Parts: sequence; C-alpha cells; structure tokens
Amino acid sequence: MQSLDGLKFAEMVQMGAHHLFQNANYVDSLNVFPVPDGDTGTNMNLSMTSGAKETELQASENIGKTAQALSKGLLMGARGNSGVILSQLFRGFGKFIEKEATINAKGFANAFQAGVDTAYKAVMKPVEGTILTVAREAAKKGVEVAETENDIIAVMEAFTAEAKASLERTPDLLPVLKEVGVVDSGGQGLLFVYEGFLASLKGEPLPKKNDATLDDLINAEHHRAQDFMNTADIEFGYCTEIMVRLEEEKEPFSEEQFRNELNPLGDSLLVISDEEIAKVHIHSEQPGAVLAMGQKYGSLIKIKVDNMREQHSAIVGEDHKASAPTTKTEKHPYAIVTIAMGEGVAELLRSIGASYVIEGGQTMNPSTEDIVKAVKEIGAEKVLILPNNKNIVMAAEQAVELLDIEAAVVPTKTIPQGMAAILAFNPEAAVAVNQATMTDALANVKTGQVTYAVRDTSIDGVEIHKDDFMALAEGKIVLSTPALKDAAEKVITDLVDEDAEIVTIIYGEDTTEENAASLAKFIEESYPDVEVELFNGKQGLYPYIISVE
Amino acid sequence: MSIELNNEFGQIDISTDVLAQIAGGAAIECYGIVGMASKHQVRDGLTDILRKENFAKGVVIRQHDEDLHIDMYIIVSYGTKISEVAYQVQSKVKYTVDKTLGMSVKSVNIFVQGVRVANV
Repeated sequence: MQSLDGLKFAEMVQMGAHHLFQNANYVDSLNVFPVPDGDTGTNMNLSMTSGAKETELQASENIGKTAQALSKGLLMGARGNSGVILSQLFRGFGKFIEKEATINAKGFANAFQAGVDTAYKAVMKPVEGTILTVAREAAKKGVEVAETENDIIAVMEAFTAEAKASLERTPDLLPVLKEVGVVDSGGQGLLFVYEGFLASLKGEPLPKKNDATLDDLINAEHHRAQDFMNTADIEFGYCTEIMVRLEEEKEPFSEEQFRNELNPLGDSLLVISDEEIAKVHIHSEQPGAVLAMGQKYGSLIKIKVDNMREQHSAIVGEDHKASAPTTKTEKHPYAIVTIAMGEGVAELLRSIGASYVIEGGQTMNPSTEDIVKAVKEIGAEKVLILPNNKNIVMAAEQAVELLDIEAAVVPTKTIPQGMAAILAFNPEAAVAVNQATMTDALANVKTGQVTYAVRDTSIDGVEIHKDDFMALAEGKIVLSTPALKDAAEKVITDLVDEDAEIVTIIYGEDTTEENAASLAKFIEESYPDVEVELFNGKQGLYPYIISVE
Repeated sequence: MSIELNNEFGQIDISTDVLAQIAGGAAIECYGIVGMASKHQVRDGLTDILRKENFAKGVVIRQHDEDLHIDMYIIVSYGTKISEVAYQVQSKVKYTVDKTLGMSVKSVNIFVQGVRVANV
C-alpha cells in the first residue's frame, strides 16, 4: 500500500478501538503505576471509544480531516493519565497531516513521530518505562524503516513490532514494574491500538484475545492487595491457583458462569480459559471448595495453595526487624562476630553493628566449631571475633587458627566491653588495626554485674550465702546480699566516678522493668551529670549487666 | 511550621516544606503539567513558572484539626484535557503522600494558574 486516505484510516481507528475495548480488563489488571488503582484499561478504552465515535461521525476521504476528528474526540473523551497521553499522541499526529488528503509511508511515519514530540512537550518530567517510551521507540523505528520502505503496511508492521519489543523492556526502565513483575499498562493499551491498526491495514482478523499468562495478572493483583495492608486485615487467607483440563463428559464449561460460581468464595478472582484449559487464581478462605468447583468441569492438572497470612507477616516482619535472625545468611565481607546470652542482648549488639551474634552464655558456651561455622555462614572475608566472656576467649583464638581468612580476636570479657569494641570498629581499617583500636576501647568501659550465688563460700574476703545476690565490679565480688536492689546499687557506687558519662543498664529475665527503672532513677539522683540508658536484654543468670563509660 | 504524627514511641515532626517538596515532586511527574506557579504572583493572567528548585512555592499545606489539606498552583499544557490532568494530579499527590509519609490527605485543591502553548 503506497498511500493512505481518510476512509481507510477511519477503519483502522475503529479496529484499534475495538481491540483495546476487548482487552481493557487485561490492561486494568496490569495497572500499578503511577497509582495502582487498576483503571488504566477502563480509562484508555473510554478515551479511545470517544475518539472512534467522533472519527466515525466526521470521517472523510481526506485523511487530514479524519485525523482531526480523532484528535478532537480523544481530547473530549480523555480519561486518566493514559487517556490524556493518547489524546496528545494523536493531536500531534493530526496536526502534522491536517492539510493532507492522503499520505505515503514516509508521511505516515513522520506523523507518528510528530505525535510523540507533542506528547513529550506536555510533561515536565517524562517517566520512562511507560506509554511514552513505547510510543517514542516505535515512532523512531517507523521513521527509520520509512527511509527506504514505501509500503505503508511494512512500516506499520515494523512500527508495531518495535512497540511490542519496547513494551517488553518497560520493566527495565521503571523499577516498580520489575518489582511487581508486569509490563506497563498504558504501554500495553497503546500496543493494542497499534495492533488493531495493523490488522485493519492487512485486512486480517485481530490477534487472538490476549493469551498472556496468568502470572502478570496475579503479580499485579498481589501488588495492589499488599499495599497498605496489615496481616490481621487479610480476609481471604489462601492464595489458590488451579489449572483445569476441561473434559467433554463433565459439565459444559462457560467462563462467565464459572467466574460467577467462584465469586462468592473470595476476592482477587482471575479466570482465563481457552477450549482446553481453564486457569483460576483466587484468594479464598476455602481452597477446598475452589478445587471442588474446578473438578466439576474436568481434571485438576496444577494446584498451588499459599497461606498469605504467613507470607505477609514474614514480609512485613522483614520490614520492621532488619536485624532479625532470619537475616543470618546475609553476606558480610567485613564482619564482626560476637557472642551473647539473651535475645535482647543479641538484638542490642546487632543494632550497634555486630554482623552475627552467636547465642551462648555463661553455661552454654559456643565451641570453636560454632564460631568457625558462623564466620563461614555469613561469607566473611575479614572478621573480628568478640567473645564477650573470658571463658570463650580461648575458643575464639582457636577459631582464628582454623579460619583461612583474615581474622582476629578482640578479647572482650563482658557485654559492655563488647559494645565498646563494636562502637570502635572502623570498616575502612585493616583487621590488625581494628583489633588494636577496639582492644584499646575496652579501657574506657567498666563492667558491673549482678548474679546469684550457687553455694555458701567466701571469695575476695566477702562472705557469700547460697541464693544471695552477688555484686561484681570489674569481675571482683564487692558485695553479697539477699536484696537485689542493694547489690545493684553497690555496683553503681563502686564503678561510677567523676569521669563517668554514660551508664547502660541491661536488665535480665529475673528482674522487672520497674526495678530497672528505679535503679536508673537512683543513678540520676545520685549522679546528676550521668546519662542513663535502659535495655531489656532478656538474659538469664544476670539480673543486671551494667556498663559505665 | 510542621505536621505532627504521634505513635507509641513518640512524636514525628514533618516540616511542611518537606511535605510541599513531596507533593510538588509528585505533581510535576504527572502528565500534562508543564510547571508550578507561585501562589503569590498572579498578574493579568501572566504567571511566572517556578524553576524546578522552588516548585514547593506553588504548594500550600494547611492543617485543620487532624485534617491535612494541600493546595497546588499548576500550569498545564495547552491542548490537554485540563479537568483530567487536574484530577490525575490530585490522585497522584494523595497516593504519594499516603505512601511515603503514611498520612492521609483530606483534600487536594488544584488551582490552574495558566496554560502554556508548546511551540509545535
């Protein structure tokens, strides 16, 4: 075809509009950008229908006039972002050829290019990976091909193929599309219009109703469902997907009827089918009922049921607990591995920079092997090991021997020392340098502990009775008393001097937050210059671990 | 001036400038907007288009009781369906503020201060 007139173009417009109309629901379901409200297809369809109506009313042999009619109809009926963009694309297209009675292949391609230019002028910050990108890349291709090609159909073919390829690339340009796993909805809508144009030019039937996999639809559906949702709000908890091979001897299948039967069972319902297979996706509380419903029409050839409450709390949980044990397998090329008892303490150490905390403690000290395993698990290339307990220092030293990476032990004997060491860590410095500076940092912190006496004895000249509370300042027993409060306060008075700035109280399982708070109050009253921090360390054996800096 | 949010851990103050930046940033990504107009300069229909770094000047944030209202002064491209462009801005701004700050906006009011004819 060497030239195109107004009447032929009017037919193309009808065909494009019809093809979009047939696939509007599919376009809706892809819509996740700019606002995931699932109306792109509806909006584009309304816009295009208005354009097609006006074209039908005003169609003339003169292509300039016909294109003007389309432009006017689109402008009047423009709905949504995609509709406004569509109207701009054809406004520029129409303006470019307004004085032409017929156009050749070159004019046709240049008109599309003019439409793209106009569309880009109406936006400050064009977002790439959208309908704009698809229109632009297709037009560019069309102009290139029309340089040497006089056949309008061949140009339209290359043009449409490029639009399709460009659509496939949209997820690489717009992160949200990649995240959700869909192509851009507006771009898809535009491609349907172009495919309609092409089918009309070639005099062929429209491409079959989009046989897109269910996956795109499901991805977009889940994305919309997950926005702004709490686990507790999930009404239908099982994401259920089935594939049914339809069988003659079972009930006759109608997609419409099947959809209506499934509808009461849940939400996010998607059904697509052809002569042989029906695919279903639904969020339901009764996955069994969904399976039974499918079996009425044939045999189930694929079944998948996921518990979304579990998945969702995992997803949301990850958002809020970046340092939860689930992230243990994170890679840390330059790592700090440390040992703690009590999950609160572990949490605290992770929060200030420990890459991996081995849960150990006074009575269940990790072995050399445990330490080596931890280092390997996080894929460390350089590692500093902080034992936080004098009984584990040896094991840590041995672990360094066994590891064939750069490794060193900072001989921390208490949790407060471990904290001081972690805070002195410099990720830019070599292992040996860090080992030295972190070890130096231990001098700035004093450790107090309160624990239980397990038998009557006498240590450091202090009389000790079984079940007494023992106050330890820097590892030395300074008091043994039946009252926890007295022991804790003794630790404080022994350790806090005029150089002290910060006291951190890590309270354990065997005392209460109230007790810890009153201890903090005692410190604030006795030493007004000192800042007090409280942490719930949840450790056993030691009601209090106290650090004084 | 700032917007206060309270939760169990304490209080979050978000400066209205921040909110205006976010709303303005969302708006200028919308199709059909060619600029933001300063809310102060309207003379004889001749409106200065704000440069990108001060488009927050075209945004007014108001807080009545617990409700948040946003006024936006925009300039649109000639030949677009203005009502539809304005509606898109409203929906995009509301969505973006909700998504990034977790605040729900009671109203987004659009003041179209000018149309600009692109040199076709």
